[in-house]
Amino acid sequence: MKDVRIGIMSFAHMHAFSYAASLNQLPEATLAGIWDDDPKRGQDMAKQFNTQFVASLDDFLASDIAGVIICSENNKHRALVEKAAAAGKWILCEKPLSPKVEDAQAMIDACKKAGVGLGTAFPCRFIPSIMAAREQIRAGHIGEVLAIACTNHGQNPGGWFVEEAESGGGATMDHTVHVVDVLRWMLDREFKKVYCELGNQLHGESLKTDDLGSLNMEMDGGIQVSHLASWSRPQSFPTWGDVTLEFIGTEGVLNVDAFNQKLDVFDDANMRHAWVGWGDNPDLGLVTDFVRAVAKREAPSVTGEDGLRATEVTVAAYKAANAKEMVSV
Amino acid sequence: MNVAIIGCGVMGKMHAEMAVRCGLKVVVCADNFQKAANELAQKYGADSTNNSQPALSRDDVDIVVIATPTTTHAALVQAAAKEGKHIFCEKPFCRTVAECKSSIDVAKEHGVKLFIGHVVRYFQEFEAVRAQLQQGVVGEPGFAHLYRGGAYPAGQDNWFQNYKLSGGVTLDCMIHDLDWIRFVFGEPERIFCQALQRSNPETLDYSQVTMRMKSGLIAKVIGTWAHPSGFHVKIEVCGSKGMVQFDSNDVPLTSERRGEGAAVGTIVPSSPVLKSPYLLEWEDFLGWLEGRHEPRVTPEDGLHAVAMATAALKSAETKAPVTL
Repeated sequence: MKDVRIGIMSFAHMHAFSYAASLNQLPEATLAGIWDDDPKRGQDMAKQFNTQFVASLDDFLASDIAGVIICSENNKHRALVEKAAAAGKWILCEKPLSPKVEDAQAMIDACKKAGVGLGTAFPCRFIPSIMAAREQIRAGHIGEVLAIACTNHGQNPGGWFVEEAESGGGATMDHTVHVVDVLRWMLDREFKKVYCELGNQLHGESLKTDDLGSLNMEMDGGIQVSHLASWSRPQSFPTWGDVTLEFIGTEGVLNVDAFNQKLDVFDDANMRHAWVGWGDNPDLGLVTDFVRAVAKREAPSVTGEDGLRATEVTVAAYKAANAKEMVSV
Repeated sequence: MNVAIIGCGVMGKMHAEMAVRCGLKVVVCADNFQKAANELAQKYGADSTNNSQPALSRDDVDIVVIATPTTTHAALVQAAAKEGKHIFCEKPFCRTVAECKSSIDVAKEHGVKLFIGHVVRYFQEFEAVRAQLQQGVVGEPGFAHLYRGGAYPAGQDNWFQNYKLSGGVTLDCMIHDLDWIRFVFGEPERIFCQALQRSNPETLDYSQVTMRMKSGLIAKVIGTWAHPSGFHVKIEVCGSKGMVQFDSNDVPLTSERRGEGAAVGTIVPSSPVLKSPYLLEWEDFLGWLEGRHEPRVTPEDGLHAVAMATAALKSAETKAPVTL
């Protein structure tokens, strides 16, 4: 396979670390350069991942990189996607594609106009337990799906995540889109209605955004879905959080605890009990898929439209929380 | 003191056993289904009948245990109260809030004590969670996530499947958690609920509640009668300083039979305790009757739990939150 040259735009989102490491792991790809609006961070990361830092965005986009992975703050996604698209680059954008529906749509339009592929970084589609669950459900293993209960808990990420102007929202913005995308992908159905109770429940004054959303949703065909999105895990919790799904079907039930491939590690030196994951790295699957899409000049598996659909549901959740009623997506 | 058991199903049997362990005597067992009444009566050397009225009006009966389908509770509570008997009524207290109210009134009027069997308040694991919260381990609680259920229950004439009568998993099972949440975190503000309530072709119910409490706490509660087997309870309470979790799948004892037969290949988990929560519940009830203390569960608690479950069912029907 020919060398696919990929650049990373911004390390504001911590997932960039894992994407950079994945690129360096792939024989068919090269991490060709890093641009960051924080030059110090960009230089540090270029050093860490053994690549070059390019200070000028124009120079970066004029280089021979074929694709870019965008890991900026959420509110900067649109401008960076539009620039990269205009420069003819294939794009993988961190989730949420955008916190605003109109921005997400504009990004899709810009990429279509430029004739470049746009992907949304939903690595959960590359988790083997979720892939296997999808196969089982589609094979009719639990019959027709009637109800689903999900969680996506995490620790408070701090930084720009908790600044609404930059993130577009708190835990509900951060931790709703993954499960929404996974369920759409598994069932080939869209979300129609959303109810949500939002709270800044756990961090009080120290946090200006929500840190918990409890959602009740309805998919096509009347499937009832509840979801808990939170930044609730204490600092002493043995891992960052979870993604869990419980499916109730006419012929059975199916449960996914997507990160429950772990070691229990007891570390006296740090007085810490940690869960250390040993399963496949979903980010590697996501990046591999993007590199393939760039090489073949086709759309990534998880598209910009998928990102837009997830944003629509999340935006509806915030609207429902304000209105205190179930709203249409 | 002597006990009349009205309703000789799973819970009637349980309460008969607890009453006897507390030193009481079961003198009569009543059930529409005569065979069930006979079997339980035989075990304790009691009389049996398929008619509740003569059982609860007997002179030698001091306590009436009501463990019948929910819609019959109000009439039985009121009949027992009119006979001057103390009453142990299984949850849900009644099918409607109005029935709860009139039952409380009749009990007061006749000076009898009325207890509602919200036994989860006595479960050791729930009490341990409450103790952690009281000790401030999680700081100010911000949200609670409770989960309860398993296989669809078998009831006489499949009465659970008639959702108008039973209220499904929401009224019959999740009511435990709704009551416990109110017990620990105070009054609810509004409830949103989705419930399957399916009886054809598959019989299953799955209820998902989001509830905002007046304190601001958000509670997520799931009740399931949609699983092929088993029974599973989970508790999670998160606060400003920490989190406490319980999962009934983590148990100290499991066993599995080798050989032939139906039970082979089934791992049976258990979590034994020296004192059953049902026994603790009975000791609390009897302590109240003997004037030693106030009970952990009041009839008003039973009413509020029915109000919460009723609000949830209304929300499920209207797809809108219900403010309490």
